[in-house]
Amino acid sequence: MSIINYAKKEISFKIVYYGAGVVGKTVNLQYIHRTLPDDNRGNLISLATGDERTLFFDFLPVSTQSVRNFVAKFQLYTVPGQVYYNMTRKLVLRGVDGIVFVADSQWDRLQENLESFKNLEENLREYDYDLAELPYVIQYNKRDLPNVAPVEYLEFLLNRRSRRVPYFEAVAVDGRGVFDTLNTVSRMVLVNGFAQEQGASSR
Amino acid sequence: MSTHDVAIHEEAAGRIDGILLRFLEESSAVDALLIDRSGQLLARGGTSRSLDTVSLSALAAGAFSSTAAMARLVGEPEFTMLFHQGLKENIHVAAVDDQAILLAVFDHRTTVGMVRLFAKEATAAIGTVLAESKGRPVRTGDLAAPLADGEGARMFKERG
Repeated sequence: MSIINYAKKEISFKIVYYGAGVVGKTVNLQYIHRTLPDDNRGNLISLATGDERTLFFDFLPVSTQSVRNFVAKFQLYTVPGQVYYNMTRKLVLRGVDGIVFVADSQWDRLQENLESFKNLEENLREYDYDLAELPYVIQYNKRDLPNVAPVEYLEFLLNRRSRRVPYFEAVAVDGRGVFDTLNTVSRMVLVNGFAQEQGASSR
Repeated sequence: MSTHDVAIHEEAAGRIDGILLRFLEESSAVDALLIDRSGQLLARGGTSRSLDTVSLSALAAGAFSSTAAMARLVGEPEFTMLFHQGLKENIHVAAVDDQAILLAVFDHRTTVGMVRLFAKEATAAIGTVLAESKGRPVRTGDLAAPLADGEGARMFKERG
């Protein structure tokens, strides 16, 4: 749900990084925070437990140079990945404009990725959102580890809906794939901030 | 999709600014933020000091939505206000409608009762403006034509 402020010439969107526990959602935001020029970002806020797991959400506001006279602002959120935090995960999805689904590429985490994706679909349904209409991308993270599944297999597991979405291989700790993911999802979301071609879906 | 895009046109922005300024005058609160429930700042009254309003908005919306979830667990539809007491500064958050909340920061110069009283008036007035805005076209002017190929491409770059 974009927010357009004609008085301030701003257009704002909410992007949520979703995925199972310890797949690297927070690491994506930390890398963006560390490497984006100061003018393009605000403070990174992490509501985490003592052992650095996200308790409620992480939050990083980023903004761009103006696009057709409007400053585009994106609020990046993560959700807590652990299964038992579903209530807070659901709250963070409120008003979401775009999603980055972060998957752990390791063989022994595949089941958790699948469950998290299913959980995402269920939680979106409670807001009457539908992944078929919502802009989203998939990031296969931790590609540097030894026991990772081939991308083709991950694609077969997670990117098999009628609409195939862009995917990115990533090593978020080193920044690999992080900005490709961000730039693609934010462009997809931005398209929705403008009028649509006649006959095109608004989402 | 059940949610709709929110557009604050210049005329509505002016009316909301006026309501927020009057609220600050009457309640003697220091800052007033109108926040969308998804966590985005819609308008600010009182710009006299530097305040990380973007973070404050995200956190307040998170806190408000989690108290709403708590309310439902005990059989209430929603807790309509939230009050955080500090040593010097306090925060009062009130529901405007199902889309927005009003956050006020205040100190010893006023009381929670005064803030609550005038917040009630302000939220009702803002609710009217937002309801009227809903009938207006969302994308006009610069946003009225679709994004062209290449526009908005690679918006973010790492520091070189």
